[in-house]
Amino acid sequence: MFRQQYGNYNYPHQGGHSTQGVMQPQQPYTGQIYQPTFTPTTPQSVYGSSFEDEPPLLEELGINFDHIWQKTLTVLHPLKIADGSIMNETDLAGPMVFCLAFGATLLLAGKIQFGYVYGISAIGCLGMYCLLNLMSMTGVSFGCVGSVLGYCLLPMIILSSFGVLFSLQGMVGIIITAMIIGWCSFSASKIFISALAMDGQQLLVAYPCALLYGVFALISVF
Amino acid sequence: MSTTEGNKNTNSTESWGGFDDNPIQGGGSAVIDMENMDDTSGSSFEDMGEMHQRMKEEEEVSEEAAATEEGDDGEFLGMKGVKGQLGRQVADEVWQAGKRQASKAFNLYANIDILRPYFDVEPIQVRNRLLESLIPIRIINFPQKIAGELYGPLMLVFTLVAILLHGMKTSGTVIREGTLMGTAIGTCFGYWIGVSSFIYFLAYLCNAQITMLQMLSLLGYGLFGHCVVLFVTYSVHFHSLFYILWLVIGGLSTLRMVAALISRTVGHTPRLILCGTVAALHMLFLLYLHFAYHKIVEGILDTLEGPNVPPIQRVARDIPEVSVALVNATVKMVGITLQSH
Repeated sequence: MFRQQYGNYNYPHQGGHSTQGVMQPQQPYTGQIYQPTFTPTTPQSVYGSSFEDEPPLLEELGINFDHIWQKTLTVLHPLKIADGSIMNETDLAGPMVFCLAFGATLLLAGKIQFGYVYGISAIGCLGMYCLLNLMSMTGVSFGCVGSVLGYCLLPMIILSSFGVLFSLQGMVGIIITAMIIGWCSFSASKIFISALAMDGQQLLVAYPCALLYGVFALISVF
Repeated sequence: MSTTEGNKNTNSTESWGGFDDNPIQGGGSAVIDMENMDDTSGSSFEDMGEMHQRMKEEEEVSEEAAATEEGDDGEFLGMKGVKGQLGRQVADEVWQAGKRQASKAFNLYANIDILRPYFDVEPIQVRNRLLESLIPIRIINFPQKIAGELYGPLMLVFTLVAILLHGMKTSGTVIREGTLMGTAIGTCFGYWIGVSSFIYFLAYLCNAQITMLQMLSLLGYGLFGHCVVLFVTYSVHFHSLFYILWLVIGGLSTLRMVAALISRTVGHTPRLILCGTVAALHMLFLLYLHFAYHKIVEGILDTLEGPNVPPIQRVARDIPEVSVALVNATVKMVGITLQSH
């Protein structure tokens, strides 16, 4: 059921995520915030016809600041228990901002590698999507995978901003890089496990995430 | 029960145009026939959508046909009108049948769910299999059990890609045609899938009892030894250490694969062919990975350490003192050889 509803509304998202240079903010977010709590046949009746009945702009665009903040906190506190239901709405605004911030910190270090960041995140999301669909019972949508991986990129931004000031190629750099990769993959696997109810397989989900974030770290370090 | 089932069947044959479909489906499509029968369960979202779409389109077509037939009665253009209508209907039917055929084939072959059971593992199982890949088992009279799993081998291939990337970045390798990532992925996946297919083909010729999945799994887990050796030698640059690790760890994982294959093959010559090929390819791949991506580091280390550099030495970067020293040494050598002649 979960998967079918995402199957209905997923196509604009896939377009929005893979063509990174073209921002279509109004297309993917229309009514997204109402899935899956509202039935799919009544978005028109909710919106109504009069001006007073229209929902506020941010709600219509699907940008819920409270949820964005919740998800950011979940990533930043590795030991905080993740709430599986917050991942029900696919929000790509946060991940987009984080990718841009990552590219910007790399730019500060003199590496113009936006293309690499977007290419690797697209391929990595595709790979994780295939793997998680094969490993989980319920299945997962591409938007959800992209959203989680994008949010967990936040510690990598800390690493690349550290790399602006100090060189990461010494022993200290290696230790910090390893810690940050562990932090990112631990958060990502924690959220995936709670959202997909895959108990006991956290290590199996964390390892591919660690490989993906390792490639990002490789871009930051070298 | 039987009457309702019978009704369901006639409904389904009517909605799917049962007898019209058979000549278009073609021969050798027993699997597609079964899927046709299974479609009445209505569990697939796309098939339900298709059925609704077809029913809607048929309603539209029949409405259109009824409207135009009423209008065209007894007119001169009536004949052409009827033929045009027929032509359109036939074209429509052919298009629908073709679309259905294509979507059925797509659902059958591009169905990623076929691979689902091979990813159902626990972390402890993966850890045990990784460690066992370095421990050869000496039972060769009875077929050894080979785990048919794809998660471990896939992760090992990706790990090997990551280690190669790391090695290439630390040694400053420059790939002229293509990218570092593409080269690493192509090398590792090409080895895993290509060599597995080749050995599976040889196993088929030598009449060995092994499936493609087991071969992929065996070779994939054999890459664990490669990952360990390369990880150690990219961090610690000792040449002799590499050779020792190549023999010991590479040898152990080769023996494990060879023993598993021997236990499933009958006859001396087939065993020799199969195991010789596996051993050669496995060991040579590790040698190739080390020398293709690591020697450049050695070149830089040697040139930075001493100015007395023999002229025939691979130097990756142009360091001015070194190149001047090289030129002087070469000129001296040339002078000496000319003098001796």
